[in-house]
Amino acid sequence: MAGALSDLKIVELGELVSAPYASKLMADMGAEVIKIERPRIGDSSRRRGPFPRDEAHPEKSGLFLYLNTNKLGVTLDVATPEGFELFERLIAGADILIHNVVPPEMDRVGLTYERLARVNPRLIMTSITPWGIDGPYRNWRAEDLTVWAAGGVCVLNGGGPEHPELPPLKTFGHQSGYQGGVHGAVATMGALMARLRDGEGQHVEVSLQETIASMLEMTFEYWPYMKTVANRLGAKPIAPVETMEAKDGYIYICCIEDHQWDRLVEVMGSPEWAKEDIFADRFKRAASWDALKVFLGEYVSQQTVLGLYKAAQAKRVPLAPVSTMGDLLNSEHLKARGFFVEIAQPVAGTHKYPGAPLKYEKTPWEIRRPAPTLGQHNEEVFGGRLGLEKARLNQLINKGVI
Amino acid sequence: MAKKLPLEGIRIADFTWVWAGPYGTLQLAHLGAEVIRIETTTRPCVTRMLPPWPDGKFSGPNCSGYFNQYNQGKKSITLNFNHPEAHEVARRLIKASDVVTNNFAAGVMERLGFGYSEVKKLKSDIIMISLTGYGDTGPYKDFVAYGPAQVPLSGLSSLTGYKGWPPMHAGFSYADPNAGAHGALAVLMALYHRARTGEGQYVEMSQWECAIDLLAEGTLEYTMNGREPERNGNRDPQMAPHGNFKCLDWPDKIADLTVDRWISVVCADDAEWGRLARAMGRSELADDPRFKTLAARKSNEDELEAIVTAWTSTRDPKSAVEELQKAGVAAGVVADARYLSDDPNLAARNYFVRKEHPEVGVKQHCGIPWRMSETPCEVRSAAPTIGQHTDEVLTRTLGYSRAELDELRKKGALD
Repeated sequence: MAGALSDLKIVELGELVSAPYASKLMADMGAEVIKIERPRIGDSSRRRGPFPRDEAHPEKSGLFLYLNTNKLGVTLDVATPEGFELFERLIAGADILIHNVVPPEMDRVGLTYERLARVNPRLIMTSITPWGIDGPYRNWRAEDLTVWAAGGVCVLNGGGPEHPELPPLKTFGHQSGYQGGVHGAVATMGALMARLRDGEGQHVEVSLQETIASMLEMTFEYWPYMKTVANRLGAKPIAPVETMEAKDGYIYICCIEDHQWDRLVEVMGSPEWAKEDIFADRFKRAASWDALKVFLGEYVSQQTVLGLYKAAQAKRVPLAPVSTMGDLLNSEHLKARGFFVEIAQPVAGTHKYPGAPLKYEKTPWEIRRPAPTLGQHNEEVFGGRLGLEKARLNQLINKGVI
Repeated sequence: MAKKLPLEGIRIADFTWVWAGPYGTLQLAHLGAEVIRIETTTRPCVTRMLPPWPDGKFSGPNCSGYFNQYNQGKKSITLNFNHPEAHEVARRLIKASDVVTNNFAAGVMERLGFGYSEVKKLKSDIIMISLTGYGDTGPYKDFVAYGPAQVPLSGLSSLTGYKGWPPMHAGFSYADPNAGAHGALAVLMALYHRARTGEGQYVEMSQWECAIDLLAEGTLEYTMNGREPERNGNRDPQMAPHGNFKCLDWPDKIADLTVDRWISVVCADDAEWGRLARAMGRSELADDPRFKTLAARKSNEDELEAIVTAWTSTRDPKSAVEELQKAGVAAGVVADARYLSDDPNLAARNYFVRKEHPEVGVKQHCGIPWRMSETPCEVRSAAPTIGQHTDEVLTRTLGYSRAELDELRKKGALD
């Protein structure tokens, strides 16, 4: 069986998470991706880690190894005229370019759709940028936190009304980048479907700020509909929906519907306190949270996470463990589904990585090769495919172009 | 001639509800697919009943800003599956569709008679996708998944939080839109495969797994070094300062809620720190040995953050951000809905959508996070009222006569 995208050729000019994740999603489904990195330095995710035994090494960064599976790796300085010419030759044979070069850098390099369309009018070029390629902030600086906050998510999370001094809290990792990646891949595939019909390429651009703002649950609409906002200082309208400490870890108590609470009370053995009127419905329980957390907290503290989780689930109450990394790696459920996959890479060794986001009946998600070492496929791509003579290749390497 | 939208002509029989599934089919509607939500008045979508409502007053299943945000550009039909006739309508709709979507728990579609094996008999090249919480297989396949609980389940909570504090949430049901976006991508890939080969297929997702894909750095710390990563607030191991900083606080309340103001500030390297120091009027700090290098800034991070706070806390967020960006420093407002609704960048890019809705009128909604040069995507209509398109879809798309429609309605099959 071939992957769903096995006839696609993608060039990626990507750093860190957004563009690399977009092209990983497509590479893992069969597309050929040629990843372009800066000569000598490489993708900055090579410096992020985590590293085995904490030894920083550009070929051993967990983040890089995860985000760049199934890709061919070349080095090329597209900011030089010779580099851009080679880049154009790669583009001539590609279906898609996915990049996250920021607009000021695009200007400096001369990276425009018009220019690339001259060598390949069927090209789909996807630009993933923090603030969009036009608009007043196009040249603004941003890191992952900047757009997670400016898109409206950060304000929702924090220490709660008892701790206004604690700042709005970012979610772990590079979440803006991951969402820019998956939404970028969606838009790219949309453009590809249009090309199947119309035969034309086009320029697609994705704004990280807009991507985050599109995921705000009901919270954005609070302003247009009710002239109010949601933030970390607001009290929860419904209880219990809270992390609590059990005997051996944390568990998330989640009773959004009254019937879920009723069944959780049964799981607890229908204690007397649960019959109090102040706990009679989900809104009363929220108003009486100070009292509820004492009673409920005492019960939870005597349970094991897995024991309470399974007892609640047996009665269809959607409790969940606050999974540690160890919990995930050792989960009987994830093991039975074969979620984590082992990938061997010559320098970093063999490790387990998160696997397929979805399972397809006919077109497999599969790891065909590990992430490339820096410039691993220079000879294969520039020599083999573009026909560069060995001497010319060496010359360009010495000049720092490759 | 106006260009067609990328997915024009693709029809989706959309059995999804709540948030994850509808978020996914919203992306497909943005791309031009005809998304037909199959609903029932006897048990309306959870989000139809949730706030926000215009002026805070609930007035039925069409007034929710939550539903109206994530169902823009879709159609809605109502069917009551207690009637065999409703099953027949659904079968005819599936026959006329390219894709069937759902995010019920494992087994629900089978019990309705619309499991993949049945659906495939109706249309041999159908694409069917199920976005379940735990997946179709494995010992927990029948477990119940609820939006907020998916964040701690995924592992994100144990990685997120203030130093020395218990695990924290993400602040929203993050695994839902994540599942929806990945699901939309999977549908597009399956459509591409069908276009090349004529072959449909079944696609299955565990929302749990799809969320673990967002925290590989955490799981790899464990698999590479046998260690659980420590929670560390907004800080970053390789950038400092890296956080949210409090701005000038004037007494501000919206309804009963206190609103304070923050901006994010990040210096990715020593040069950016130099720019920040100068922008704060503290150029002497650029070369101060306590802050000159990343290692120094990480060792003195409490002091560093206090210096930044001293500067931000006397400033209005918008002007502070503009000042820092002018100096080349990564900064942004920690935006809430009020700020976003008027954000200059989003406004200039025409991000927001304002379509007439029959019950709530014109409200501001979030739009499409991408632009296309040749096939511009747009939100074509406001979210549907419940059953708004039942007559249209049954008569025009499925070929029911007016008399048959009336008969079905009289029997209650279209409730």
